[in-house]
Amino acid sequence: MRHLIGVTAMALAVLSPAAQAAEKWGLPGEEAVRFEAKVVDILCELSGDCPANCGGGTRQLGLLNDEGRLILPMKNQVFFAGAVDELIGFCAKRVVADGLMVTNRGYTFMALQFVREAPDGAWKRANRFTNKWAERNNVAADSAAAKRWFENDPRVKDLISRHGKLGLGLDADKEFLGD
Amino acid sequence: MRTITLAALAAVVFTAAAQAAPSKPERVRVTGEIIDSWCYLTEIMYPEGSAHHLCAIWCAAGGIPVGIKGDDGKVYTVLKLGADSSSVANPGVMEIQSHKVEVDAELYVRDGINYLTIGQVVSDEGIVNLTHDEYGIQPFGE
Repeated sequence: MRHLIGVTAMALAVLSPAAQAAEKWGLPGEEAVRFEAKVVDILCELSGDCPANCGGGTRQLGLLNDEGRLILPMKNQVFFAGAVDELIGFCAKRVVADGLMVTNRGYTFMALQFVREAPDGAWKRANRFTNKWAERNNVAADSAAAKRWFENDPRVKDLISRHGKLGLGLDADKEFLGD
Repeated sequence: MRTITLAALAAVVFTAAAQAAPSKPERVRVTGEIIDSWCYLTEIMYPEGSAHHLCAIWCAAGGIPVGIKGDDGKVYTVLKLGADSSSVANPGVMEIQSHKVEVDAELYVRDGINYLTIGQVVSDEGIVNLTHDEYGIQPFGE
């Protein structure tokens, strides 16, 4: 039941057209937050391996706040998608990040819902992943394929075609799911 | 007054340098299951093994950080695999999603998060956590 409530709450938030900041998703240990931070390439921050433009969208990005705390934004507002496409345009810049800080199973991380360039840029909903995925895959951003990108992603389709949905091989899928 | 200004400037410069300095990693061996960090840490659905493999691939392709649920009870966030320093839809990591692996890696602990740069996958047992009979295929059942 707890899982169902969480998924339902997140689905409502993802599908909601309203741009209300810090929407609750019903996640365990969630807290609405808004703070200023610098967008950094996490691997660069940790190891000194620093390619141009924070890796150009190929690396996980962090939010380094004014206390020096490195926050990991794991999620955006699109189904099954992370926060990098939302933040890469702000590499090395200060932003105002809005969303949920989640503490569970001993770890604290963030779901990014809205972001703007600090101090007073225009708010952007953290759902640009869909447009960028559509652009990368040469489909319209408002197409059915883009809305259910996860079922149409060529990398996903390739993996499933070789290993099946269970990851155990095509015969295991056939036995479990039928023809 | 000028001395104070210079001192303040020096303090800012040295503080910034100290914050920017990379931290020293620890060489570790980690054994565990490759997982989708978000689903595991938020518990929004059943997040492990064959039942969650499809969702874990979706999430990896979507750029959500991939992790390792260690046999030591810790969760590790993967930032690099071999020479490939991509951690957004890393194709090598997606290939071993949900697998039980042992990795040789460098560990950076920062603000409560365990970050790994994997030098080598030492062993790969494939998917051994067979959970689909009990939990179906997450999250939509097919």
